[in-house]
Amino acid sequence: MRISRRELLSGLSLIGLSAGVFGGRRGALAATGDYRALVCVFLFGGNDGNNMVVPVDARYADYAAARRQPADGGLALPLDQLLPLAPASGAAAYGLHPDMPELQQLWDAGALGVLFNVGTLVAPTTKADDAAGRVPRPQSLMSHQDQQNQWQTSMPDRPVRSGWGGRIADGLPAASLPPLVSVAGNVLFAAGERSQPLAVPPAGGPAFGLSGFDASVGSRAIRAAMDAVRGLDLDNALVQSVAGETVAAFAASGALAPVLAGTGSSTDALFGPQPSAFGKQLLQVARIIEARSVLGASRQIFFVSLGGFDTHNDQLNRQSKLLADLSPSLSAFHAATVQLGVDSQVTTFTLSDFARTLQPASGGGSDHAWGNHQLVLGGAVRGRQTYGAFPTLALGGPDDFSTEGRWIPTTSTDQYAATLARWFGVTPGDLASVLPNVGRFGTDDLGFLG
Amino acid sequence: MTSPVLRIAAAAIVLAGCSSHPPPSGTAPLTLAPDAVRLAAQATFGPTVAMVREIERGGAEGWIDAQLALPPSDLGTYPVVADSVATVCPPGAPATCYRDNFTPFLTQAAFFRNAIAGPDQLRQRVAFALSQILVISGDEVRANYGLAEYQKLLLRDAFGTYRQLIEDVTLSPAMGRYLNMVNNDKPNPVKGTSPNENYARELLQLFSIGLVQLRPDGSVVTDGTGAPIPTYDQDVVEGQAHVFTGWTYPLQPGAPQRTHNPAYYLGQMVAVGANHDPAAKVVLGGTQIPAGQTPQADLAQALDAVAAHPNVGPFVGKQLIQHLVTANPSPAYVARISAVFADDGHRVRGNLGAVVRAILLDPEARGDTRNDPSYGRVKDPVLLLTGLARALGVETDGVYFANAAGALEQPPYASPSVFNFYPPDYALASGLLSPASALLDSGSVFTRANVVRKLLYAPPGPDATVSGATGTQIDFGDLAPYGGDAGALVDSANALLLHGTLSAAARGKIADAVNAQGSTDPANRVRAAAYLVLTSPSYQVER
Repeated sequence: MRISRRELLSGLSLIGLSAGVFGGRRGALAATGDYRALVCVFLFGGNDGNNMVVPVDARYADYAAARRQPADGGLALPLDQLLPLAPASGAAAYGLHPDMPELQQLWDAGALGVLFNVGTLVAPTTKADDAAGRVPRPQSLMSHQDQQNQWQTSMPDRPVRSGWGGRIADGLPAASLPPLVSVAGNVLFAAGERSQPLAVPPAGGPAFGLSGFDASVGSRAIRAAMDAVRGLDLDNALVQSVAGETVAAFAASGALAPVLAGTGSSTDALFGPQPSAFGKQLLQVARIIEARSVLGASRQIFFVSLGGFDTHNDQLNRQSKLLADLSPSLSAFHAATVQLGVDSQVTTFTLSDFARTLQPASGGGSDHAWGNHQLVLGGAVRGRQTYGAFPTLALGGPDDFSTEGRWIPTTSTDQYAATLARWFGVTPGDLASVLPNVGRFGTDDLGFLG
Repeated sequence: MTSPVLRIAAAAIVLAGCSSHPPPSGTAPLTLAPDAVRLAAQATFGPTVAMVREIERGGAEGWIDAQLALPPSDLGTYPVVADSVATVCPPGAPATCYRDNFTPFLTQAAFFRNAIAGPDQLRQRVAFALSQILVISGDEVRANYGLAEYQKLLLRDAFGTYRQLIEDVTLSPAMGRYLNMVNNDKPNPVKGTSPNENYARELLQLFSIGLVQLRPDGSVVTDGTGAPIPTYDQDVVEGQAHVFTGWTYPLQPGAPQRTHNPAYYLGQMVAVGANHDPAAKVVLGGTQIPAGQTPQADLAQALDAVAAHPNVGPFVGKQLIQHLVTANPSPAYVARISAVFADDGHRVRGNLGAVVRAILLDPEARGDTRNDPSYGRVKDPVLLLTGLARALGVETDGVYFANAAGALEQPPYASPSVFNFYPPDYALASGLLSPASALLDSGSVFTRANVVRKLLYAPPGPDATVSGATGTQIDFGDLAPYGGDAGALVDSANALLLHGTLSAAARGKIADAVNAQGSTDPANRVRAAAYLVLTSPSYQVER
């Protein structure tokens, strides 16, 4: 395939991202009437997928040769410690990182799927395409900030100010509560072209409401003045934006504050007596899902995050600790959805900046790369299966655009996002307004959701 | 509105109930030169009446020059400890051992003490900005004394040359630890390892030139197809990664020299020639580094290439503008600052003191551009906290502030990653840049208000676990005398906190709320006015 940047850009301009295009979709998702939720788990820093899912067949030798032994500052995980991901029949071809036994169990239970070598792509790209410059690379490949943004926008060929989560939310019918809720602050994924997400604190975090007010005359007068003042003096765009966040916060606080404080939550115990900071985000999501009827929510998209994956050194220890947080926390969250009877209506999926070099770096770490493996979890997932093509683990090999083991993705973020969006209820006709580039790639349904 | 007679009556009650404050002198509100208040908001951790008077007396230029000459406040001296929690704080050690040695807590408290009360306001404010550009974090550099040493470096170098700053940062053992330049060894074919690219990459992307070529006015240079032109490629990153091989921690006095010294953060990293890659390298701008040079010579040549790159002026200059004055400076403003960066008038490139001076004296900082609808910057949470404290007569040991900053997601010196608490290109839906808006979401709206409430209504006393703690007290400073007169109170708060931008409508709403507090407790009336101003959308924006 030969695509110039000019052609790509002109194609984009046809699609556009105006409110008009999105306006046509309003109500398209409302018809089904049931509840569905997407939970985006962003692993900030670039999770080393090469050590999260490792071949345990003959290819393990390639892996061990390139990753080198820990005694020499290498990163190879011992074969006998990997947790086999056995398919429904036959021998396991892959193993999971040893600190993820909970997710291995969910694999065995059919709730976990693995996607191989997904990444930001402007268009389908082979090694020959890349070497010859026939397909442009994503802008600022291997820069954390840019790749984090591009995973969230799925538009690696130009900067945009909305994420694909927000653009899905743009098409949802009006509801009393914004459909997109981040438990990890303001993020690009959640920003729509028209819709505004809500950001809420994690479980055990700060109150989602004002403290110190009572029914006294003085207290009520301050509250009344506060409500009035935030509608005044809006001559500056930045002040307006602050006022907008404030209005949204106050509008949601009444219904949401008790939910976020854990009132009526039945799933807290599943997260253990002392959930991690990441677990507290997922617990908060579980609480909101449990209160979905009270909150009048039929479609929700959540964003949570776990940081620290930029393992340039001491990777074996550091990634180990992170995955030992990720695995039980995701497992507890899945158990919560089972207990709430919505496990087949909630799909959880991972994103991350990029993969890391297969070749170790000085200091027992690895550097920035490109295509990466991701996890999808939930009752609707066609689990116990892998999706996509596993890269050849050879430095400078057919999937490596460098000599350090940086995989050219064989599945695009567009295809990944499209599969999730379609399951969530975005119609095929509306898909291009959520994911303008998706038409450049083969299929918009990778088949991991049933 | 309260009638004049009632105002006098209320004032009499103030006299009776609050003898420590002078009576309202005819309840004439504070009058402050608005531009002096604005300069104080841009160049300090928040206006105080005393500082505004200094600016009024000396003029902006004279005041800035006086500030540029002040030496740094002392960020404290902390015990040198081994880089091992298990050794320093074994089981049975007091619970404070970990907090005091392996978190930034004590340095953060010192930061807030200095920010609130130190004389070198401009230096501290610029160093705080630099700490958000050339980032290290206590999340990773656990040893508090090492983290503090790095922040002292930024305070010391805040008004020096960029070339000096970047060299001191590069050789800082805390930065070495944070971005893995320490003990970064030459390629090892036997072990199959390559040099660590982390510092090499982030030095370019974050600390100096950014990803794409810029014109002096900050606009992006594009190719024929409209795509931005990158400033460097992976080969440059790898070339610099090889340059930055062969450095280890400074030698702790009394310890034997090793090729990989144990963690020690006082002084600069030291070179170990045997671990340095002797091969030739190509670095930024095609600069050829010949084979066989020392680690020091390689490093100097690579840093010269970085500091000379035409992007540094617009890249660093624009961020400093964004941190001090406005998130969306005009291209002409950026270009004026880039010109000063290129030449301070005495043929010195990268004179940061001159750059800061030019940023603050620029017509776009001082003039009527403030009335443009896109002007200004959303306040960092830290500046909300310090602004309150400085305006309202807070005395503090900094402990509550260190904790509150964490709740507001901006614990100084402890950002979640090298990408700071927020990215410099964080934009609103409208497309306007507003980096600090990344920290202003629906959840933090309440946290901001609740922290303000706590400080105004129930400032916490001394934390018994902190040695020498004195807690936090508030006496409402220059607003205290106005508790008896709602109108004068709101006008004074408006002058000091909002440089007079409050509308008559908002003024009336706040005054009504003040009067609803009754007249028996003037302090409570000041609290009500301060709470409403400090939680208003307007106060969250400096402009």
